[in-house]
Amino acid sequence: MGSLSTSLSIAVQSLNAASGSLQITNNNIANANTPGYSREVANLQEGPSEPEGNYSEGTGVVLAGYQSVRDELVQNQIQQETQSQSQANAQLATMQQIEPTFTTSTDDIGTQMSALFSSISALSTSPTSSSARQSVLTAGQNLVTAFNSASSTLTTQQTSLNTQVSQDVSQINQLSQQIAALNPQLVQAQATGQDTGTMQDQQDQLVLKLSALTNVAITQTNDGVTLTTGNGTPLVVGSQSYNLQTETGTGGMTQVLDQNGTNITGSIASGDLGGTIQTRDTTIPGLMTQLDTLANQVGTAFNTAQAAGTDQNGNAGQDFFNVPTTVAGSAGAISMALSDPAQIAASSDGTAGGTGNLTAFSAIQTAALPSGKTPSDAYSSLVYQVGSLTANANAESSATTASLKQLNDQLASVSGVSIDEESANLITYQQAYEAAARVVSTIQSLFSVTMSMGTAAAE
Amino acid sequence: MRVTSMVPDMQYDIQQSQQTLNTALQQVASGLRVNQLSDDPSASANMVSSLATSASVDQYTTNDTAATSLMQTADSAFSSLVTSLNSAITIGTEGANSTENTSNRQALASQLQGILTDVIGQANTTYQGAYIFGGSATTTPPFVAASTTYTSANGSAASPLSAATALTAGSVTSISDATTGQTMVFKAKAGNTIATLQAAIASAVSAGTLSAGTTATINASEQLQIGSAGGIVVSSNDAVLGSMSAVSGTSVANAYAYVGNSNINTVQVGDSMNIATNVPGNTVFTLGANVLGSLSGLISALQGGNTTSIGNATTAVSTAVNYVAEQRVPLDNNITQLNSQESFLSQEKVTLTTQQTSLVGINLAEASSNLSQAELDNNAALAAAAKAMPNSLLTYLQQ
Repeated sequence: MGSLSTSLSIAVQSLNAASGSLQITNNNIANANTPGYSREVANLQEGPSEPEGNYSEGTGVVLAGYQSVRDELVQNQIQQETQSQSQANAQLATMQQIEPTFTTSTDDIGTQMSALFSSISALSTSPTSSSARQSVLTAGQNLVTAFNSASSTLTTQQTSLNTQVSQDVSQINQLSQQIAALNPQLVQAQATGQDTGTMQDQQDQLVLKLSALTNVAITQTNDGVTLTTGNGTPLVVGSQSYNLQTETGTGGMTQVLDQNGTNITGSIASGDLGGTIQTRDTTIPGLMTQLDTLANQVGTAFNTAQAAGTDQNGNAGQDFFNVPTTVAGSAGAISMALSDPAQIAASSDGTAGGTGNLTAFSAIQTAALPSGKTPSDAYSSLVYQVGSLTANANAESSATTASLKQLNDQLASVSGVSIDEESANLITYQQAYEAAARVVSTIQSLFSVTMSMGTAAAE
Repeated sequence: MRVTSMVPDMQYDIQQSQQTLNTALQQVASGLRVNQLSDDPSASANMVSSLATSASVDQYTTNDTAATSLMQTADSAFSSLVTSLNSAITIGTEGANSTENTSNRQALASQLQGILTDVIGQANTTYQGAYIFGGSATTTPPFVAASTTYTSANGSAASPLSAATALTAGSVTSISDATTGQTMVFKAKAGNTIATLQAAIASAVSAGTLSAGTTATINASEQLQIGSAGGIVVSSNDAVLGSMSAVSGTSVANAYAYVGNSNINTVQVGDSMNIATNVPGNTVFTLGANVLGSLSGLISALQGGNTTSIGNATTAVSTAVNYVAEQRVPLDNNITQLNSQESFLSQEKVTLTTQQTSLVGINLAEASSNLSQAELDNNAALAAAAKAMPNSLLTYLQQ
């Protein structure tokens, strides 16, 4: 039969269990808004029963430790989705910077092209008017400025993305080192049966940050988490982290290399780095080629039209635009070749008032360029592409944001702290503590009664 | 499902509803459904083509208006010309009357000279500084008083010109004949000499381009001299000859030569519609019934006093009036065509504007209703958040 001492011992264990549970509730409440925190629960176990003759007696409650409530599968899905979201956001941010350049305004390429054709058409009504001729030169210069400015926008964005590559690689290396440093600590803590919740949360958060930067494949091993990027380039294996390197490649573009110096730039598929590289190496060059082709072919068409006529002084028409010999870089380098309004070759018969050659200029507007499209169609195709790329990046960003919200809700339903739940726990454990304290107090009075029993008999 | 905190969901919902509200507000405020390319890439691309067409239509309309004004100016000149010629016929009819005496006929001839001056003024009409009857040569007066003799600036005893003198390849020398109303244009080729020019003039005389007796000789001052009794106007840009100028005192009374060309300028008023904006002056004034020639002839006949000649010359002017009326028809047709094209362009503009509105514009009723709905949604999201956020077990425990 159990003694008062045994009961006291059970009560003290109860007090410990309630106190420990209160502490974990307190910690949960304190970290309710801490990003990446997984709630912990007290692992209360029934004390081993002790045989007492034909029956056994319970020995109270034991606080066996704390357990972090986690869902690694959802955590992993969040990391994967974060990679897609960051990739879409990187593309979206750049495309949103490029989009206004191609949006219809007073000075976009489409408007300036129309203005140039209009000024040429206007010249046919007064071919000797110096103001009408000057208008053609001004419209030509405005078109050149529009081409130069669009090219400059694309180049500036590409340069800024190039800088981003180095910054991303530097952050990836830093995070890899931090994750690798946590691996042995986690392994050791798990081996000794310690609660690894806090460390696990810390590592999950670091992996999440890494996922925002690049595509990461995660494998759990006995040595902790193993992380690879690209097509299997190791970043973290056990306690070892492998730094990515950078080098300047063709055209000043920063290339990403693995620890052996192999170029892995093309295999970085997602995350901010993936989106940045894709926009820098594929999207912008694609747009740039279309822009350069348009500038080169329109410029050449104007020069051909000029050469077919004579200027106001009866001389053969000189080049209208200075067009680079190669298509690449044409939009950025195209400039006005004519400086004197009289040099516009409007005439086809050598007279100052002739307008016969203006039809050659007007024909450029409706004839197909070597690209197979009219200038307006070629430009509208470019506009469609810019709009479509931005819209796709936007849709991808919104979709991944919604998906991430869903996954975060799912994770929170498992690992999140509910203040209501913790408040109820607080009351439960408070009452448990009070009850155990009452038991102690009761046993204390029983002890006193027991002690006083002897004293009363003696009297 | 275990719900831990409603805050992230509420924030997301509020964010979404605010974004919808912002979009609805922007659409109503701008009147546009597509404010950036990504709102509707396809519509944005179509807008580029539509705006380019719109700009062309605007320019065609401006060209139409300018061409109409120019052609109305030409038409006014035609009206004045007909009035002048009718006056000339009246004078001629009066002069042919056998009761008129010599002195009266001289007075009538003087009146007619005034009319000829008016007609030359009409032939040299300008529109915004450009001569409208000069073909594509619009910068200089197309009708110039003719002289019998022109000499070159170059050539002297010290540096004589001769038949063997080589001309500058590519240079142009032109001789406009007041009698034939035609112009001979000689463009020198490599190896050509003054003798080549002389041969070309002889050929032009044979062909009837230049009047009989038109010759090019080297005069006593060793200059090139080109002469024709009926009156000519000569110009050259050959540096070997220097500029050609009329010899003082050789001008021919009532004789004018056409120094313009026969080219026609056109103005684009539609994608595939070009309208001729000028009538070369030679076709109106010197070729065909030869308006200027008929007037000069009538002046000479009046001065001569022969009633038969006066009658014949008056008939020639009457023929010229009919000829002018014929020449006026295509011009009037073009004005009519320009007017109908202007109406078409104005309709086209309306169609394009409608197309652009349907591409990127809003349906106001729909956009307003979207805005109201978005406001309602946003208010509901905020109200729900305000209602739900303070709810916590702790709130109730404190009571």
